[in-house]
Amino acid sequence: MLTVTGVSRSFGGVYAVRDVSLSVADGEVCGVIGPNGAGKSTLFNLITGHLAADRGEISFLGRRVDRLAPHRRARLGMSIVFQAARVFRGMTVRENVMVGMHGRTNAGFVSAALRLPRHRRDEREIAAEAERALGRVGLSEWADRPADRLPIGQQRALQLARALCARPRLLLLDEPASGLRGEERERLAALVEELRAGGLTILLIEHDVAFVTRLADRVVVLDLGQVIADGPPAEVRADPLVLAAYLGQAS
Amino acid sequence: MIGRVAVPVVAVVTLALPAVLDDSALAVYILLGLAAMVTVGVSLLMGYAGQVSLGQGAFYGIGAYTAALLTLGGVPPLAGLVAAPVVAAASALVVGTPLLRLRGHHLAFATLAMQLILLSVAGQLEFTGGDIGLQGIPQFGVGSWEAGGAAAYAYLTWAGLALVMLVTRNVITSRPGRALRALATSETAAASSGIPVGRYKLVVFALSAAFAGLAGGIYCYYTGYVAPGSFPVLISIQYIVMAVVGGLGTIWGAVVGATAITLLVQGLDGLATLPGMPSYAPTVLSYAVYALVLIGMVLFMPRGLVPALSRRRKSLSERV
Ligand SMILES: Nc1ncnc2c1ncn2[C@@H]1O[C@H](COP(=O)(O)OP(=O)(O)OP(=O)(O)O)[C@@H](O)[C@H]1O
Ligand SMILES: [Mg+2]
Repeated sequence: MLTVTGVSRSFGGVYAVRDVSLSVADGEVCGVIGPNGAGKSTLFNLITGHLAADRGEISFLGRRVDRLAPHRRARLGMSIVFQAARVFRGMTVRENVMVGMHGRTNAGFVSAALRLPRHRRDEREIAAEAERALGRVGLSEWADRPADRLPIGQQRALQLARALCARPRLLLLDEPASGLRGEERERLAALVEELRAGGLTILLIEHDVAFVTRLADRVVVLDLGQVIADGPPAEVRADPLVLAAYLGQAS
Repeated sequence: MIGRVAVPVVAVVTLALPAVLDDSALAVYILLGLAAMVTVGVSLLMGYAGQVSLGQGAFYGIGAYTAALLTLGGVPPLAGLVAAPVVAAASALVVGTPLLRLRGHHLAFATLAMQLILLSVAGQLEFTGGDIGLQGIPQFGVGSWEAGGAAAYAYLTWAGLALVMLVTRNVITSRPGRALRALATSETAAASSGIPVGRYKLVVFALSAAFAGLAGGIYCYYTGYVAPGSFPVLISIQYIVMAVVGGLGTIWGAVVGATAITLLVQGLDGLATLPGMPSYAPTVLSYAVYALVLIGMVLFMPRGLVPALSRRRKSLSERV
């Protein structure tokens, strides 16, 4: 599904991601953990194309994508939920989620301006898909509210709904549980489990090790931009290098 | 909701006014409609898509010169009027390709510079008539019908405005419109939803330029002459003030803002041209008023007249 080979990226001479290789199999849930500043979000930005890699290759669904613009990678089937909430202001919750369908529809300015049949067909399809996604994350009741006034938990759910609306092949979640309270967190975990059961491939960044252990088939540990461990959750948790990285951070 | 009340009222008033206004009042009415047409584009560009342009006057000018040159060259006026928005949009695509990489005030200054350059070029070139411009532009007409008086131009202007408003509304409430509103908040998040951000910014820039170009085309037939002096930088600033006063990101706001500012400037012009006032008084007064109005709006009504009024009405009706 996804293969990252020898990817590096530095900022002002300091490596944020250094010679990282990893691969994610179809249907796998792969956790990415590591101390603050380890390069996890940078790795996601490299995969989705929001940052260009200095070196290395990225393949997705058997095709080189490292030169493709982010919106092209999105259209191939990558969806990301960012660490910081990025809710579109001045739009309702529903409209925000509808944006997620952009890559799967194609009525443009002319169809819209002239209200051509293609516009109507796309709008129907977009509305139906958005409704489904809203229901899935439990936001149906909030659908017609202004999105920027949602509490943080709902904003996260909103982004997830937007990502799901795109029917991705690969879903990248950057600390989706941070800032969520107990029941919201539980709900998120249940949704991720449901998505996994549906066969979706997921890359999941999370600080909460228990949360990752529960959901991930495999865990990759980053420290100082490098992969220091890669394996089943139980094995990785016992890895001396990993323990040292976390202890080093705690001290 | 505003639309349901406003559309019929505005339509009736619009249709009735040309019949009752005298020629000097009609001139104001026409210029107001043309300004509103450009301002709808500004509101689309700034209010919905989050891109600034301090150079919309340039596209107004490009439209006017395009129609004037074609018609003086023997092309039927209708073709000239159609070409005006097309050439303005094409110019926007060309200049927008490098400019729209810029953001915020960088983009504002770059578009302003574009207009200054264009004005000085138009003032130098022979085929645009230099500083004197082009005169004796034939009347607008279709086939054997010719626009006889100001009233015909008033109808043409307001029909153009209705078209521009309809197109804007249709775009905004659809897939491409949502994409524009999304990229105004976050280009990154928009791109991750599959939106080609660069292309969409270019298209909306071209669309707003087309609106300005259409207004410019009507303007040249109405006045019968165009010159660089007809499209000063002040005019671009005026469109921004109109959009902000009416409320960015509302279509009706553009019309309300254009009306408010046009009437205000008319009143002040009367004042500034009183005997004893220096010749530069109108310009200085306009700049001062634009500045004061902008500051006042930002302080007291940051979302503009239309949102403020509709909110007040809503809260009133909720209270009863
Ligand atoms: N755009 C940027 N410009 C400069 N430095 C950056 C940029 N983005 C990230 N960095 C640096 O790269 C390093 C890795 O950052 P990154 O955000 O990937 O870490 P992270 O593992 O996601 O951390 P966290 O757990 O805090 O989210 C940090 O040192 C950060 O300061
Ligand atoms: Mg991070």
